[in-house]
Amino acid sequence: MSPSTSHSLPQSASQSAGKPIIHLEDLKLTLPSAAGDVNILRGLSLDVHAGEAVGLVGPSGSGKSTLLMVLAGLEQPTSGTVLIADRDFTTMSEDGLALFRRDHVGIVFQSFHLVPTMTALENVAVPMELAGRADAFERAAEELRHVGLGHRLTHYPGQLSGGEQQRVALARAVAGDPKILFADEPTGNLDGATGEQIIELMFDLHDRRGTTLVLITHDHELAEMCDRVVRLKDGLIDGVHAGTRIGRKAVAR
Amino acid sequence: MSLADTNVFKPGFALAFRFARRELRGGLKGFRVFLACLTLGVAAIAAVGSVSTALVEGLSQEGQTILGGDVDFRLVHREAGADELAFISDGATISKSTEMRAMAAALRTDERTLVELKGVDDLYPLYGEVRLGSDLALDEALSFDGTRYGAAVEPALLDRLGAVVGDILKVGSLEVELRAVIEREPDRVAGGFALGPRLFLSDEAMLETDLIRLGSLVNYHYRARLPEGQRLNADVAAWVATVTDAFPQAGWRIQDRSDSAPGVRRFVERVALFLTLVGLTALVVGGVGVGNAVNSYLDQKRDVIATFKCIGAPGGFIFNVYLIQVMVLALLGVAIGLAVGGTLPFLVQWVIEDMLPIPARFALYPAPLLLAAAYGVLAAFAFALWPLARAREIPATGLFRDIVAPARAWPRPQYIALMGGALVALGGLAIGLADRPDFAAWFIVGAALSFAGLRGTALLLMALARRAPRVRNAELRLALSNLHRPGAATASVVLSLGLGLTLLVTISLIDGNLAEQIGGELPERAPSFFFVDIGPDQVDGFESLVRGTEGVHDLNRVPMLRGRIVSVKGVAAEDIAAPADVAWMLQGDRGITYAAKLPGGSELVQGTWWAADYQGPSLISITEEMAQGFGIALGDEIAVNVLGRTITATVSNTRNVDWGNVGINFIFVFTPSALSGAPHTHLATLAMEEAGEIALQRSVSKTWPNITIVRVKEALEAVNKLLQDFALAVRATSVVTLTSGIVVLAGAMAAGHRRRVYDAVVLKVLGATRGKILKAYIYEYALLGFGTAIVAAFAGTVSAWLVVTQVMQAPWSFLPMTLAVTIVGATIVTLALGLVGTWTALSAKAAPVLRAQ
Repeated sequence: MSPSTSHSLPQSASQSAGKPIIHLEDLKLTLPSAAGDVNILRGLSLDVHAGEAVGLVGPSGSGKSTLLMVLAGLEQPTSGTVLIADRDFTTMSEDGLALFRRDHVGIVFQSFHLVPTMTALENVAVPMELAGRADAFERAAEELRHVGLGHRLTHYPGQLSGGEQQRVALARAVAGDPKILFADEPTGNLDGATGEQIIELMFDLHDRRGTTLVLITHDHELAEMCDRVVRLKDGLIDGVHAGTRIGRKAVAR
Repeated sequence: MSLADTNVFKPGFALAFRFARRELRGGLKGFRVFLACLTLGVAAIAAVGSVSTALVEGLSQEGQTILGGDVDFRLVHREAGADELAFISDGATISKSTEMRAMAAALRTDERTLVELKGVDDLYPLYGEVRLGSDLALDEALSFDGTRYGAAVEPALLDRLGAVVGDILKVGSLEVELRAVIEREPDRVAGGFALGPRLFLSDEAMLETDLIRLGSLVNYHYRARLPEGQRLNADVAAWVATVTDAFPQAGWRIQDRSDSAPGVRRFVERVALFLTLVGLTALVVGGVGVGNAVNSYLDQKRDVIATFKCIGAPGGFIFNVYLIQVMVLALLGVAIGLAVGGTLPFLVQWVIEDMLPIPARFALYPAPLLLAAAYGVLAAFAFALWPLARAREIPATGLFRDIVAPARAWPRPQYIALMGGALVALGGLAIGLADRPDFAAWFIVGAALSFAGLRGTALLLMALARRAPRVRNAELRLALSNLHRPGAATASVVLSLGLGLTLLVTISLIDGNLAEQIGGELPERAPSFFFVDIGPDQVDGFESLVRGTEGVHDLNRVPMLRGRIVSVKGVAAEDIAAPADVAWMLQGDRGITYAAKLPGGSELVQGTWWAADYQGPSLISITEEMAQGFGIALGDEIAVNVLGRTITATVSNTRNVDWGNVGINFIFVFTPSALSGAPHTHLATLAMEEAGEIALQRSVSKTWPNITIVRVKEALEAVNKLLQDFALAVRATSVVTLTSGIVVLAGAMAAGHRRRVYDAVVLKVLGATRGKILKAYIYEYALLGFGTAIVAAFAGTVSAWLVVTQVMQAPWSFLPMTLAVTIVGATIVTLALGLVGTWTALSAKAAPVLRAQ
C-alpha cells in the first residue's frame, strides 16, 4: 500500500455510510529549525467517520501529536486538505478556528492543563462561558458529578490528585457536548488503576453521546480498545487495523 | 448545534473581566516591582502638582493681600498727577507707598548695608496685616515721637548692621529709631527679587531722607481698594479698563488681584513643569520595570494561555483578560501613588510652611491628582502593551511540544499602533499642559532619544558579547555569555540604569555650570560694586574718592535714566505683537543711557557709531536681538518716554552685547545731545580687591548717603541661594527617578535570580569556588555598567549643554570631574546593589536545587 493512500478501511458497516467527519488528504507539515527544515508529516491521508473511535499509535517523533494539533486546528499544515465536518481548516482564521473548537471540539491533555487559579467548577465551565451559555455552571457541576467529583467542585487543581485533575479535564472537554474529542496520552501521567478509570469514563462518554474520539497513546492495549488503530511512522501511516472494540460492540448488539 | 455552523457569540469584556478576576486570586506575587515603579512615579508627579497648585492657589486666593490692594498702579520716577489721583480715588480707597533701594547705616556699630526702602501712609496695608515682633502697631512703630521717626526692619538687617531694637539708623540724611522687627509683610512677594532686607518708614519720614531727587530710581505705588461688591475679577478688570482709557499715556504698570505676582507664579509653574518632567522620567524608567513584570508574569502563564486557546478562546479575548489584570494592578499602583503624593504636601506644610515666602493653600486638589493618575495609567498601558500583545501570539501548540517554532517577535500592527498612541498621549499631555511647550517637547525628545540610544546600546552589548572571540579566562567567558543568553537582563539593566544616570549627569552638569558661573568665572570679570543714583553734582567728588582708594581699578561710569518704549516704527507699544523672547522689552521701564563712544562689552553689527561730537537729530543704538525681534532696520524710528517727555530717535546702528559680562550695558544707547539735558543720575561700577570693599562702601555711604551701593558679592549670594533651593528641589525629584531605576534594576536581577542560583550550583558542583563565580558576576556588571555609563555620560552631557546654551543662554564649560564623579559614583552604587542581590545566589546549597530540577 502506498503511504499516501487513504486508510478508510476496515470500518464497520454502519460507520461507512455518509461523509467522513474528518477528511485528511496528502497532508504535509514542515517546521523550520536551526538545523534545517524538519518534515514532520509527509503526505498523510485519513478519513474518520462520525461516532468512530480511532487510536493513533507510533514511536516518539512519528508525528502523532502534530497530527492531533492539525486536527484540532492548532497548527496549519504546509500543504494538503483538512476537512473537519466539511469545514476547510486551511482557510479559516485563527479566531475562527478557536470558535470552532469552542463549539465542537474537546481536548484532553497528558498534563491536564487546568487553569491553576480556577476551581474545578470554573475550569469545566470555561468553554461554555466562552460560548456564552447561561447554564455554564449548572452544566459544569453536572459533568463533574458525572465523573465522580461532585464533592470537589470548589477545589483548586493544586488541591486535587492527578487522577482527579484528569477527570476535571475530561469533564471540561466534554461539557460542551463536542462532536469530536481529541485525547493526547490522557493516561500518560497517571498510575495504572487511575488511568483505567479515566479510560472507562472516556469510552463511556463516547458510547453514550456518540462522540467521535481520536486517541493518541503509547499503550497498545488501550489503542486496541478503539474501533480502528492507525499506526504512524516517520510522518506517514504505517498500517491500519480494526481494534477489538468492533468485536465488542458487535457482541453487545 | 449542528457541526456545520458555529455559534456567533463572541466572548466580551464582561467575561474577560470575570476571567481576570479569577486569575488575580493567585495574588500579587511578582508584581511588587510593577507596583513600586508606578507608585514612585505617580507619587512624585502628584506631590509636585499638589504643592505647586497649593502655591498658585495661595497666590490667587490671597491676590489682594499679596498685591496690597485690588489694583496696583506703579509709576517710576514720578508721582501720580493730581488729575490721575483724583480719577482713581473716585470710589476707591487709595494707599500710596514709595519704594526704592538705599543705604542704611547703624550709628552705634558704624555698619552699612543696602536696604529695600518702603515709605508707607496710614492706610497701608489695605489688605492683610504687617506682623511685628512687638506689640506695636505699624503706624506706632513708624510715627514721629517728637525727636525721631521710627523704622521697622527685617531681621536680616539686624544681622548685617549688628543693630538691636532701639538703635539709631541713618537712612539718607535722616536719623530714625529702629523700633520694631518685621515678622511678616503681606505684600512682600509682589515686590519681586530683593537685594537687601526691608526697611519701613512713614511717608513723611521718607521725604526727609533727601533720597528722592529728580531722576533717582523711585517706584511710586498707588494701591486701590474697591468697595465691597465690586471686587470680582471682572469688576476689577472693568475698572482698570476705564482708568486706562482715561489716561492712555500715563505709563504706569497696572497689576490687579487676579494675577498679583505673575513673576512668582511663572516661576512656580516653571519649576513645577521641570519637576513634573523629571517625575515623568521616573515613570518612563519605571515603565521598563512595568514591562518586565508583565513579561515575566505572562511567561508563567504560557500554559494557561495556550490552554485557553485550545479550548476555544480567541486571541483578542486572551489579550483582554490579561490587559484587565494588568490595568487593575496599575490602578492599584496609581492609587497608592496618589495617596502618597496627595498627603506629602501636608507633610511639607507641616515642616516648611513658615519658611515659605508666599501663602500656600494646602488641600487635596483633584486636578493635579487626576493628571498624575492619567500619567500613571498611560505609562502602565504603554509599557504593558508589548508583552501583552506578544502573549496573545503564544501558540496553543506549546502544550504539545516543548520546543516550538518561536512565536512572532513583533506584536500585530494594531497593538504597535495602540502603544504608539499611548506614548504620544503621554507626551502630548506633558507638552499640552506645559506653560513652555517647547521646553517640555525638547525634554521628551531628549528622553526618547536617550531611550532609543540605550536600547541600541543594550543590543550592541549583547551582539558584541555573542560575537566576542572565545576568551581563555573562564570568569570572563561566563560573564560574556550571561550578557547575551536568552532572557538576559542586559536590556532592562542598561535602560533603567542608563536613563537614571543620564538624568543625573544632566542635572549635575547644569548645576555645576551654574555654580561655575556664579562662583568661579564671574569674579575675575565682574565688578565688585554697582553705585546707583550718583547725583550729577556728586560725580566729581565720587570719582576722586574712588580713584584715590588703593586697589580700585576698572572704574566705569555712565549716565542712567529710565525710559519706556512708546512706539516702534510708528506703531504704539501696546499694539505690537512681539515674539515672547523680546516682548519683555516693551513692558515697563528700561534703563537707558547716552554715550559718545561705543560702550565696552559691545560690538557693532550693523551701521556705524556716531561721531563723538555729534549734535544732529537724536540717534539711537539698539541691540541686534531687539532689531531682529521687532523687525527693526537702520533708519527706523523708536519713541521712548523719558521722565514724561517723549524722545523720538532714528536707529543708527545695532550692537551685540555680552550680557554675561555683568558690566554696565543697555539695550538703548542715545546720542549725548538727545538726553544730556534731561535730569539724570549716574551709574558706576568698579573692581577692587575684596579686602578693601567694606571700607570703600563705608566711606562712599558716609559721604553720600543717597548713593545706593550694591555689592556684587552679596547680590550674587542672594541669587545663588535662590538657585540652590531650586537645585535642591530638582535633585530631590531626580532621586525618585534614580530610585525607580534601582527598583527596576533590582527587579530585573531578581527575575534572573533562579537561573543564577542554578548556574552557581552547577558551577560549584563542577568545582568553581564562590570567589570565581563572584568574579564572573563582577565582570558582567562592570561590562554592563561601563557600557551604560558611557552612553549616559554622552547623552547627559549633550542634554546639559543644550539646556545651558539654548535655554539659559549661558556660556558652557565642560566639567570632566563632575561628570566622572557622577558617573562612577552612581554606577558603583547601583551595581553594588545588584551584586548584593547575587550574593544569596552564591550561597545556595547545591543538593536542594539539584533535586528540584
